Amino acid sequence: MTSPLPTSGRVTNTMNFGEAEQARADRFVRELAELKIPDPAAGRAALWLRVGATLMVVGLVLAGSAYFMAHSTTDPLAQRDAIALALGGVAGCVVGSALFLRYSLTGFLRYWMARQSYDVAALADQLSKGDANGAR
Amino acid sequence: MTALLELRDVRAAYDRITVLHGIDLTVRAGEVVALLGPNGAGKSTTLRVAAGVHPVSSGRLLLGGRDVSGAAPRDLARAGVCLIPEGRGIFPNLSVRDNLLMMTFTGRGLAEIEHLTYTRFPVLGRRSSQAAGTLSGGEQQMLALARGLATDPAVLLLDELSMGLAPRVVSALYEQVAAIATEGPAVLVVEQFATAVLGIADRAAVLVRGRIEHEGKPGQLHLGVRAELAALYLGSPT
Repeated sequence: MTSPLPTSGRVTNTMNFGEAEQARADRFVRELAELKIPDPAAGRAALWLRVGATLMVVGLVLAGSAYFMAHSTTDPLAQRDAIALALGGVAGCVVGSALFLRYSLTGFLRYWMARQSYDVAALADQLSKGDANGAR
Repeated sequence: MTALLELRDVRAAYDRITVLHGIDLTVRAGEVVALLGPNGAGKSTTLRVAAGVHPVSSGRLLLGGRDVSGAAPRDLARAGVCLIPEGRGIFPNLSVRDNLLMMTFTGRGLAEIEHLTYTRFPVLGRRSSQAAGTLSGGEQQMLALARGLATDPAVLLLDELSMGLAPRVVSALYEQVAAIATEGPAVLVVEQFATAVLGIADRAAVLVRGRIEHEGKPGQLHLGVRAELAALYLGSPT
C-alpha cells in the first residue's frame, strides 16, 4: 500500500522546537499547495443525482405520452412531432440513467474496488509466504 | 510563527439554523488555542468546519495560507489535519495494538507507531493486547491521541478531551497535548473544562451562541469574563 501521508520531512531529534515547528509547517504548506481542490460548484453530486433521476422519469413520461399523442391523431405532422418528442424523451432517459448511475454507484464501486485491491494484496502475500515456505 | 489554521468570518449552518455567525480564529504552528463555551455555542461545529467535515455557508477556511473551503475532508486529512472527535473514535473491540495497526495506512510501520505511542504513553504499552473498550477513560483518550499522532498531524483538533475523566487524568493528558504542540502542530482544543486547558493554552477564545465574545491570552481572560463564562455554564442566579 502506498503512503497517503509523506514521511520524508519528519521532524528529527536534532532539531530544536522552532525548527521542528517550521519544518512541519513548511511541509504542510507545500502539501496543501499540491492539493487539488475541486470547484465546489462542480462537486454537487447530490444535485446531479437529482437531475439524473428527474431526467429519467421525465424522459419516460415524455416517451409514453408521445405514444398516446401519436395514436390520438391521424395527422402525419402531429405524429412526426410525437416521434421527435419520444426520441427526445428516450434520449433524456438515457442521459438521466447515466447521471444517476454515475453519482449513485460511484461511492459503492470505489469501496468495492478498494476491497478487491485489499483481497488481491492479501492473496499475493499468502502466495509469496507459501512460496517462501516451499523453498525452505 | 506560521498561521496553519485560519477561520475568517466563517458562518455555518445545519439546514436553515445558523450555528456559527462569523468566526475569526487563527492557530499558528506550535500553538495551543483553547475554544471555550457552553453547550450549543458551536464549538464542535467549529472543529468540524476546520476539519472540512462540515461545509462553511460563507467565509473562508485557510490552511497554511491556502483557501481550502469546500475541500474534501479526506484531502485535508491527507495533508495533515487530524480531528479527534468527542467520544474518542477508537475501536472498542480491537486490542490496543490492533487499534494502532489500523493507523499503518499512513505508511508508517506498526513498530514505529508502537514505539512512538508507548514512549509517550507507557501505560498503553502494558495494555497492548487488551481490548480498547476495557481500558479506563483516560487510557482510551490516550489511545485516541496516539492514533491521531500516528498521522503526523500539522493541525490537531481536539474535541472535549476531558469528557468523563477525573481532573488528575485530564491534567496529565493536557501536559501531553502541550508537549505535542512543541513538536510543531497547531492545536485547537474545544473544552468545557476550562481550568485544565487554560493551564497549557497559549491563547483562548470564548464562543457564545456562535460568536467569539472574548479572545486573548489565558491570563487576559479577566475575572469578569470568567464569571460570565461560569454564568453561561451554570446559569445566572435570578
